[in-house]
Amino acid sequence: MIALLLRLYPARWRARYGDEFAALLAERPLGPFDVADIALGALDAHLHLRGLGSYSEHRKGFPMSLRIGAYAAIAGGALWFAAFLWGSLDPADQDPGSVVGILGSIALLVGMAGLSAFQARRHPGLIWAAFALPAAGGALATLGLILMAVVGDQPVAGVYGWGLLIVGLLATIVGSLLFAIATYRTAALPRPGAVILGISAVVSLVAFFVASGQGGSSPWIVVAAFGAFAVGWIVLGLQALRLDRPAVAPSPA
Amino acid sequence: MNAPLPELGRFAEPAILILVSLSDGPKHGYAIMADVEQGTGRPLGPGTLYAALARLEERGLIEALEPVDRRRPYRLTAVGATTLADQLHGLSAFAELGLSRLARSTG
Repeated sequence: MIALLLRLYPARWRARYGDEFAALLAERPLGPFDVADIALGALDAHLHLRGLGSYSEHRKGFPMSLRIGAYAAIAGGALWFAAFLWGSLDPADQDPGSVVGILGSIALLVGMAGLSAFQARRHPGLIWAAFALPAAGGALATLGLILMAVVGDQPVAGVYGWGLLIVGLLATIVGSLLFAIATYRTAALPRPGAVILGISAVVSLVAFFVASGQGGSSPWIVVAAFGAFAVGWIVLGLQALRLDRPAVAPSPA
Repeated sequence: MNAPLPELGRFAEPAILILVSLSDGPKHGYAIMADVEQGTGRPLGPGTLYAALARLEERGLIEALEPVDRRRPYRLTAVGATTLADQLHGLSAFAELGLSRLARSTG
C-alpha cells in the first residue's frame, strides 16, 4: 500500500521526500484517516509544485477532519433511516429508497474515515475491517440494485439482486459495530456514543433476523431497529461535533 | 521581525506545532508526529506533516540533516528559532489578554 500511496505524489516530490516518507509510513499502521490525509497531501503537492498554493480546508487538520467526519456520520445516519422508512411506506417501489440507503452508506464511510484518526493507531485491523465491510457492502448493494433494475426478481447465476442488496446493507451494520468497538476501546470519541452505536447495531442485526424468521411479516420492527442504528451514528456525530465546539460561546461586544 | 508563518495560510497551525517539536533538538518525521500527538492530543497526519515540512524548509525555517536508516532528521535554523519565539510571544500575549478578559467577564 505504501508504494501505491507514494505514487500519488508528483515525481519531483518523490525524488526529494519519497524515501523518508516511505520510511515514516512503514513505522506505524495506517488507518483510513491517514490514507485520506496522504491522498489530500498528494493533491496539495501537485498544486503546490505548480505554484497554486495549498489545497482545501483539510489543511486545518484534525478539527476539520473531525467536523467532516461528524457531519458525514449525522448525514449517513439520517439517510439510512430515511431509506428504510421510505422502503416501508412504499414497499412496492423500493429502488429510490435503496439508492438513498447506499448514499447513506457512502456518507458513513466518509464519517468513519474522518473520525478514525486515533482508533487506527491502536486497532488498525479492526478499523480497516470496519471500513472495508461497508465499502464492500456498498459495492454489493449497488450491484444488487443494478441487477434488480435489469432482471427484476429473477436470479442471475443463482444470485438475486435483492439478496446482494440486503447483504451489502448488513455489512454496513457489522462494520459500524466494529467501528463502535474500536472507538470504545480507544476512547478517542465519547464512549457513550460508541456504546449507543454498538448496541443499536446489534439490535438492528437481531431485529433483522427475527423479522426474517417471521417471513418479513414485521417490517416495522426492522424499520425501528434500523432507525435506532441511524440514531447511533447521529449521536456519535453530534458528540464528535461537541469535541470541536468552543468552550465559551462568543458574545457580542 | 521575521513573520513568514502567516504566509503559510492553512499550514500555519501544523507548522507551529512542528517548530515547537523541533525546539528541543532535531527529530525525524515519525518522532515529530509522535511528539505533536502526545503534546496536543490530536493526530497529525503524514500528508499534512510533509506538506508543512516542505513549506518550512522552503522558507528556511528548518533544514534537513543527513538521513539515518532512511529516516531524515530536521532541525530548526536560526531564522526558524527567532520566528518561533516571535510567534510564541505573540500567542502568549494574546492568551494572557484572553484570560484576563475571561476572568473579568466571569468574575
